[in-house]
Amino acid sequence: MMGFILLLARNRLALGGLIVMSLVVGLALLSPLLPLADPDVTDTANRFKLPFSDGTLLGTDHLGRDLAGRLMSGTRLSLAVGFAAAIAAATIGSAIGIVAGFYGGRTDNIIMRGVDMLMAFPYILLALAIVAALGPGLLNALIAVAAVNIPFFARNIRGITVGIAHKEFVDAARLSGMTNTRIILSEVLPNVVPVIVIAMSTTVGWMILETAGLSFLGLGSQPPQADLGSMLGEARSALITNPHTSLVPGAMILIIVMAINLLGDGVRDALDPRLKSGALSRPMPTTMVNRAGPIPPASDDALLAVRDLQTQFHIRDRIYKAVDGVDLQVRPGECLGIIGESGSGKSVTALSIMGLVASPPGVITGGAVHYKGQDLIGAPYETLRKLRGDRVAYIFQDPLATLHPLYTVGDQLIEAMQAHHRVSKSDARTKAIELLKSVRIPNAEIRIDIYPHEMSGGMRQRVGIAMALANDPEVIIADEPTTALDVTVQAQILSLLDELRRDRGLAIIFITHDFGVVAQLCDRVAVMYAGRIVEEGSTEAILNAPAHPYTARLMDCVPELGQGQRKLAAIPGLPPMVDDLPTGCAFADRCDRSSAACRASDISLKKITSHHRVRCILPVPFLQEVAQ
Amino acid sequence: MTGYILKRIVSAIPVLLGISIIVFLIMAMIPGDPATAILGSYATPENVAKLNSDLGLDKPLVQRYFIWLGNMLQGDFGRSFSLNREVLEEVQDRFGATLVLAGTAFVLCSLLGVAAGVVSASRQYGLADKLITFVVLLGISIPSFFIGMMMILIFAVNLRWFPVSGMWPIYGARDFSALISHLTLPALALTVVATGVIARLSRSAMLEVLRQDFIRTARAKGVSEHGVIWRHALRAAMVSIIPILGIQAGFVLSGAVYIEIVFQWPGIGRMLVDAILKRDILLVQGGVVFVAACYVLFNIAVDVAQSLLDPRIKA
Repeated sequence: MMGFILLLARNRLALGGLIVMSLVVGLALLSPLLPLADPDVTDTANRFKLPFSDGTLLGTDHLGRDLAGRLMSGTRLSLAVGFAAAIAAATIGSAIGIVAGFYGGRTDNIIMRGVDMLMAFPYILLALAIVAALGPGLLNALIAVAAVNIPFFARNIRGITVGIAHKEFVDAARLSGMTNTRIILSEVLPNVVPVIVIAMSTTVGWMILETAGLSFLGLGSQPPQADLGSMLGEARSALITNPHTSLVPGAMILIIVMAINLLGDGVRDALDPRLKSGALSRPMPTTMVNRAGPIPPASDDALLAVRDLQTQFHIRDRIYKAVDGVDLQVRPGECLGIIGESGSGKSVTALSIMGLVASPPGVITGGAVHYKGQDLIGAPYETLRKLRGDRVAYIFQDPLATLHPLYTVGDQLIEAMQAHHRVSKSDARTKAIELLKSVRIPNAEIRIDIYPHEMSGGMRQRVGIAMALANDPEVIIADEPTTALDVTVQAQILSLLDELRRDRGLAIIFITHDFGVVAQLCDRVAVMYAGRIVEEGSTEAILNAPAHPYTARLMDCVPELGQGQRKLAAIPGLPPMVDDLPTGCAFADRCDRSSAACRASDISLKKITSHHRVRCILPVPFLQEVAQ
Repeated sequence: MTGYILKRIVSAIPVLLGISIIVFLIMAMIPGDPATAILGSYATPENVAKLNSDLGLDKPLVQRYFIWLGNMLQGDFGRSFSLNREVLEEVQDRFGATLVLAGTAFVLCSLLGVAAGVVSASRQYGLADKLITFVVLLGISIPSFFIGMMMILIFAVNLRWFPVSGMWPIYGARDFSALISHLTLPALALTVVATGVIARLSRSAMLEVLRQDFIRTARAKGVSEHGVIWRHALRAAMVSIIPILGIQAGFVLSGAVYIEIVFQWPGIGRMLVDAILKRDILLVQGGVVFVAACYVLFNIAVDVAQSLLDPRIKA
């Protein structure tokens, strides 16, 4: 609760709304004590006095009544009716929603059908019909406004209740013999109250507008009693000659409803967990770059070289160092594997290369990515865009989510070409069919016109590969492209990539957590742990003689055919959180070889042979491994 | 596709029946005696009884409902006693005027609202976003009848750009340009609130979509940011924006009641309010059922548009 108030207070707009609202409510409540003229006393000799004239604060209306006094009593009435309608609608609607959601089945069906019927009306028709039946009057207007808002609450609350009614704690309460009424009151209701509050805070303003509207039409409060709506309605006939009589109540409605809406938005934001995590912010076209340290120079002849890359996620006050000083490079025709557990930073490394890490919250805080000697980190957006998909292409995991659901496969392939080259649609289509054939999609001429959801997972993955190949790129970055697939499809796709690499001289960065895939495809491999490379070298060297205890343990987790009785050794513990990394080796806490020295200071990546580097002060001895 | 449309139309039948039942029940709640209301309080008891049996009001409720429904299906909505005219004729005349006003406003608010939402989302937390968010907040907090009155004051009375009220000039030709000049202010006044709501919801629909993986794929392909926003993100966001438009059409129709009063527009909203104040129940009943039925049919069109846009909806 305290946290909620703090969050609300942090939102300056909501705070402003709260202050304005308190002022209005306070003024309206205290107005009988203030020295204001009686709102209902007519004085036709002093009609249409302008504001601030002759001792009146806001002037007088068409009957010479004091506008300031009428404004205060009207505000009181409007607020009372608006809130009463909101509370009535919320109470009845929530009760209906809870009953429907909790009991389910036929009860639910009948109630929700009725609610749907009511929602099939434009709301004013229903309100007008109710007022027509009950007759004009403020109470009847209140009933009408409450009634038309009941379906909204019923539907929202039902949705939440259905989710709660199947939770374990409700089952437990049932088993303990509680009656349904008690379960609803003690288990369900407390959990739906925040939702009711959000729904109310976002609709109160609307209900005040609606009641004011009915009064404006002459169907709400009847003279001499006047709320803000009927004040405006009465002033309308004098709109042209004496606009101040309209402006006063109109402006008041605007102020009240705006304050309530600001406050309501604040309440919703404070209660909505998605906003706290920043999940509703939009990723920018390129990752934010904020490099503090020196920028590493382009050193060697690699096609693509990552130098001391640092990518962080800034979420509220915490900094997650997802990638912390990674060096990688690939040459044409070479395949580099990056291996590691989930959360080790391998995907973030891959996405950082072309500035595709979602930002906010992602920030690249250091290092460089050299493509043919040109630094891509912090390069202008247009430079990156021209390289993306043309020279450096990505293949993503889970192609159902990564292909656009509403465009055909062909359209998406054609777009990939047209983003970089002036090709006619028919030429691009011919090439797209060729591409689909090259990734061995049967009946490519037909399949080009279907949508991703009409394909199997393996087919979609091939489309993803075809799309990456559309512009004959020099580098392909493949982020677990085979993880979601079954083994036979995986083998086909791996051999396809291998073939392309040999035929076209493609450089591949292949991200995976599977040593089998590494062995099949990669020339070199880098092992990542907690945002850093802990071991790097030729595939042969690392698979035969892993030097870092983490690599060794990781390989022990792989079952081998024909190895008989060996126990599969899971690694105890979990990877450390990257917002709070220990000094020294991040693996030390899970390592059975660790000593105090491991935690003393940072450990550098040291060469142990010409093709093999490791970040460990007590590497697994090569001979010992062979002896076993 | 034809199959899907037919299916949707068939599924609308129970909804339409439900609407007629709800309206009938609300009208049956009316306290007092309609015959007395028609004849006035000086009517003799014999005359009241005769009118009641003439109108069929002495029959049981269920029977009355089916008689009413049967008559309506044959196009007989009854006769308005205050206007001394067939209800259906009056409703059709008036609804045409409302359709011109609300239709224009609906097209405007859809275009403006979606565009504002997209721009706002694609420049999240930027100046344009803050400006749009503020204007939208103002728009959804201001009563549409108050906007209408202020527009009359500024643009019709002071600047004399547009006529003060009505649909047609009292003297002079009833041509297109006359209609446009009369339509501009009420249509704009009616557009404001719905534009605000649509802009708000479009903004969050866009933000939701912009975080999806396929947007990252589009960027990884090298699609320009313009293409990412307007081709990829908006297309996907439209799937959730279109139902919002369908709902907002109901709000535009509702708002039209106020705007018709403020601008003296000869539409069905003004007719309904007048009918309520004169206790002309048959006119209210007929008008409400007619408009509600049109709204249901409109929502079928929305669903069909949705299925055309989203191939994942199986016909």
